[in-house]
Amino acid sequence: MKKASSLSRRDFLQSSGTLTGVTLLRIGSPALVAISQSACTAREQAAAFTVLGEREAADLTAIAARIIPTTDTPGATEAGVIYFIDNALAAEMSGELDAVRQGLADFNAALRQVHSGTARFDELSADEQDAFLTSRADSDFFALMRIMTIFGFFAMSSYGGNKNHIGWDLIGFEGHHGVWQYPFGDYDAGIHGGASDGE
Amino acid sequence: MANEVRFDKREAVDFVIIGSGSAGGILAKELSTAGFDVVLFEQGPYRKASDFTHDELSVLFRNELAGGGPDVSGQTFRHDQEQTAARPRRAPADYAQTVGGSSTHFTANFWRFREIDFKERSALGAIAGTNFADWPITYGELEPYYTRVDWEVGVSGAPGPFDAPRSKPFPMPPIPVKSSGILLERAAKKLGLHAQHEPHAIVSQAFNGRPACINCGYCMFFGCEVGAKSSTLATMIPLAEASGHCEIRAESAVFNIQTDRNGRASQVLYYDPDGNEQAQRAKAVILSANGAESPRLLLMSANAQNRDGLANSSGYVGRNLMFNAHTAVDCVFDRPLNDYKGVQVTRIIHDFYEADESRGFYGGGGIDARPLWSATPIFHALVGMPPDVPKWGARFKEEMAHNFTRQMSIVGATTSLALDRNNITLDPESKDQWGRPALRVTYRDHDDDLAMSLFLQDRAAELADAAGAVKAWRHPITPSTNGVHLLGTCRMGDDPATSVVDRNHRSHDIRNLFICDGSSFVTSGRGQPTMTIMALAFRAADKIKAAARAGNI
Repeated sequence: MKKASSLSRRDFLQSSGTLTGVTLLRIGSPALVAISQSACTAREQAAAFTVLGEREAADLTAIAARIIPTTDTPGATEAGVIYFIDNALAAEMSGELDAVRQGLADFNAALRQVHSGTARFDELSADEQDAFLTSRADSDFFALMRIMTIFGFFAMSSYGGNKNHIGWDLIGFEGHHGVWQYPFGDYDAGIHGGASDGE
Repeated sequence: MANEVRFDKREAVDFVIIGSGSAGGILAKELSTAGFDVVLFEQGPYRKASDFTHDELSVLFRNELAGGGPDVSGQTFRHDQEQTAARPRRAPADYAQTVGGSSTHFTANFWRFREIDFKERSALGAIAGTNFADWPITYGELEPYYTRVDWEVGVSGAPGPFDAPRSKPFPMPPIPVKSSGILLERAAKKLGLHAQHEPHAIVSQAFNGRPACINCGYCMFFGCEVGAKSSTLATMIPLAEASGHCEIRAESAVFNIQTDRNGRASQVLYYDPDGNEQAQRAKAVILSANGAESPRLLLMSANAQNRDGLANSSGYVGRNLMFNAHTAVDCVFDRPLNDYKGVQVTRIIHDFYEADESRGFYGGGGIDARPLWSATPIFHALVGMPPDVPKWGARFKEEMAHNFTRQMSIVGATTSLALDRNNITLDPESKDQWGRPALRVTYRDHDDDLAMSLFLQDRAAELADAAGAVKAWRHPITPSTNGVHLLGTCRMGDDPATSVVDRNHRSHDIRNLFICDGSSFVTSGRGQPTMTIMALAFRAADKIKAAARAGNI
């Protein structure tokens, strides 16, 4: 948790930006060039959190980490979802910032009813976190956190999350490669050459 | 390159065309290359192919190409006229605002209608409580124009067993089959059905100076970055501009078509890119703004002589809105399809195209297989998960990771019946970003449309099983709240009492006002209307050119 929230945005944007800047320009596909350009733009904006405080970021990071947890594969934390959320709440989703803050305040107030008066979500065990989130699963705040986590896990890296395409790699989406040759899958392999599809 | 021309706003230009999409782009090209001076209005910006991105968040969730969505357009929706319409998250009338219109972001599934689509009312008889009617034109009259779309706009495909006759073969071979197509074809064979090639408005080979499809997979709701999708942006609009007779005014929102003391359309009022009111005089006006925007503009243009809106003596402006109902069965297979690569659809089934009395309800439709929501990651996570999987946590993550490359949907698209109750009106409260009254959509599918959806979903479930899906689930069939096919709202017909335009797209009420787009449709077809919109536009252009040359406008 603390590690994630102290990770500088410059660190991960630089690591995700370098490859796109060079190789995609060489490929020359306009949309891919646009992706690399926006990645470079985001990298230049490197800074600490824009709107989130450290405490807020720690709470939201911990919530996102239960929505898409770290298992034997990376999850929301490793993908830098919190940076997506911070970026979005500073820009396109700035209208939601107050709702997120109020939602988080309500969330923490309820948490302290259940646990101690000084309880912090990021200090609970995973089982305790899941049990409490289950009790809040119908709230607008949780719905918004779920959507922002999914966005931050799968949107283009230039938005601040999906670091090193962690989200895309997890599901087998090679979206950053762009131009495809047949066969695409196992079932058309027999038609287009390659391994037989077995029937 | 482009032969840029600017027309004087105070001089009456030969034609003002409102809307640069599937119909407007073709009309602009046809009229300008014939030597007529044209000002083509588009409320969205002039994006080029190089402006189109793979940014799922922006395109699918922030309505990048669709004008920003209801927050900006103010669109409202209700199922029934007794309700107060509310502003939903997703646009009820969903279309692109960009030069080339929705032809830039559509999926490019590209079916011709068949003979029966134009005369189904005569074949089946009346359906009580509906405005089910024959078209005033036949397939035979439209066929040469379908062929022009094939060859001038660019269509890839191969004939299927049930297709209507064509006067020339497809200009290009079909897009190669993907795993979803293989699986659908295999299932169809087992069930005694006939899978056929999907025709596409996407070029499978280099064509007219455009490159072949690069299989990037971003067709549905995205613009094509290489110009392989046969949008009017990629095909017709460059020819219109090169003619030296067509000026494109992008980011220019028309809010009124004015008539003179003789009852003729005389000029259009619009907001320029800076939001200032401007006027463009015209000898004739062609409205091709789509099946939602065209009736809205006619209703907004009401004046002392046309109190219910222009061209609306019948009261049919905005009525008979048809969406085509859609249904889906999602399926997961044991090995990867990677169906997010390439075009959405490569095989379709048209065995249920025609109405069949034995079903007990009216309707027909087509079935296809495609990645649908599993073409892009966010959509997959939000909409494509099986209903028995938790919405968050380790199991959710595991299921997303396993299914994304192994998933496809079997989709049904159906007829919609024309009804008085389904319509476009002006919202009494809500406004768009220019201050114009917002679109209000009132829509509840006819029971037969929903019955047909269920029928196709039952077939889709059988196909999923026959294809060997290890898991399959249905998306519940509920009344439509959103349409990307915007049809029927200024229908064509011979009788001015029950239609808005005549068989040549001239409005019955105003001699020099023409309307041509999805609003012209009398029936909905079976789910892929854009080919027919484009064919109608080529035909309308011929009729309008002939009338203009004869001094008959």
